[in-house]
Amino acid sequence: MGPGLMAQGQERGVEEVMKIGIINNSLGNVGSVYSAFEFYKYDVKLVNDPGELDGCDVIVMAGVGNFNTGVTKLKQLHFWDKLNEEAMVKKKPLLGICLGMQMFADVSYEGGENKGFGWIKGKVVKIEGSSVKVPHIGWDEVTPLDDRLFKGIRYSAFYFMHSYHFIPEDRSTVKAVIRYGDIEIVSAVGKDNIIGVQFHPEKSQGDGLRLLRNFLEMAA
Amino acid sequence: MIYKRIIPVFLLKGKRLVKGTQFKDFVDVGDPISQAMIYDAQGADEIIIVDIDASREKRLINTAIIHEMISKCRLPIGAGGGIRTLDDARECFGAGADKIVINTSAVANPSLVTELANEFGAQSVVVSVDVKKNGGGAYDVYVESGTKKTDLDLMDYISNVIALGAGEIIVTSIDKEGTLSGFDCELYRKMKNISNVPLIASGGAGRYDDMVELFKETDCDACAVGKMLFLRDYDIVKFKSYLKGRKIPVREA
Repeated sequence: MGPGLMAQGQERGVEEVMKIGIINNSLGNVGSVYSAFEFYKYDVKLVNDPGELDGCDVIVMAGVGNFNTGVTKLKQLHFWDKLNEEAMVKKKPLLGICLGMQMFADVSYEGGENKGFGWIKGKVVKIEGSSVKVPHIGWDEVTPLDDRLFKGIRYSAFYFMHSYHFIPEDRSTVKAVIRYGDIEIVSAVGKDNIIGVQFHPEKSQGDGLRLLRNFLEMAA
Repeated sequence: MIYKRIIPVFLLKGKRLVKGTQFKDFVDVGDPISQAMIYDAQGADEIIIVDIDASREKRLINTAIIHEMISKCRLPIGAGGGIRTLDDARECFGAGADKIVINTSAVANPSLVTELANEFGAQSVVVSVDVKKNGGGAYDVYVESGTKKTDLDLMDYISNVIALGAGEIIVTSIDKEGTLSGFDCELYRKMKNISNVPLIASGGAGRYDDMVELFKETDCDACAVGKMLFLRDYDIVKFKSYLKGRKIPVREA
């Protein structure tokens, strides 16, 4: 999948304790992400000030809720430009979870038309299909299209809760999908140093923890 | 494929879990944190915890308990009890809840549903509805843990809260709750055409086949379990194996 996260090899073991920064964007749910990483005894912290990202090796952008609210909060807290720099210039490994992944897109149509980071070309639209319930809530069977992120996963069921979904333009950025009724929902994306998942690994029991560990091993 | 969910429902009284019959005669069934850890380990799909006194006592569920649960468990947690404002909800989300559950306040202040959905997303807003069959065979909606009858029409009410932004609905049959006598499938069949959001059935789970019947005969996406799990010789692993054997799509864990 090109240079970066997926091609860096094993230069550093996970034992060497990477510093993980979770953006504290007051959109909820970061506590669970924090406790999931803490389970592995990583050096993890909630980042309140963009300057703190300089000292982090890996960045996690989590969150649920409204796209526009999420973007506005990141801008208010002065994270927007800093994240662009960290992810696109410094090429730090970055994981986006749920809304965090959707923000990779060029644009979202949730609550009007709002611009995302544009890191992975594509748009975020409402889930629409005949005979599917919206929001899409619950454990769903994920079909991985990438070996490393899903390495060692046992049942491949992950927890989803969302009403909008990301449709990337470039198929090679799609790393996992699910089938929801008559539609396909992209459930993981990746490009260079960034990876995004639509589901909540921090809420997905054993397989969720395994996926987070895989991400860190890829980042190492 | 999306799996049918099995959701242990925790009723919180003070700092302990309780279980009753038809919303009365509660007995202690353990500590919320240790019970949550047990069902998480068994592969429960989610946990809903509700403080059953909070609404009447005009206070919020103890969010320290939610926080401890999410620190020790790796599954989604819905929390409810006394959520009347955006700030109450924010406190629950801040403590780590993935969803908030509102019941009494959705009836008292329907616009709260919209405010919550706008702020936190519809997928995080669960509206809980407690119902009891009346003499005429229709269902009445109750609030304040089943102690207060409203004059709402159940189907109108549910359509309304969905239109206002509820992302999920849990409907509890007070008549069935804690009786181990099976779900009120007739109730959930009625909802098939009005609910385009996920629907959770609650009240009456007592045998494996109650769940099979529910999932085969209704459009429910999830079922609540309480007494069967707390006070009888069952566990989540057994539920899942049995349901899988009956071709109900459940998640292995």
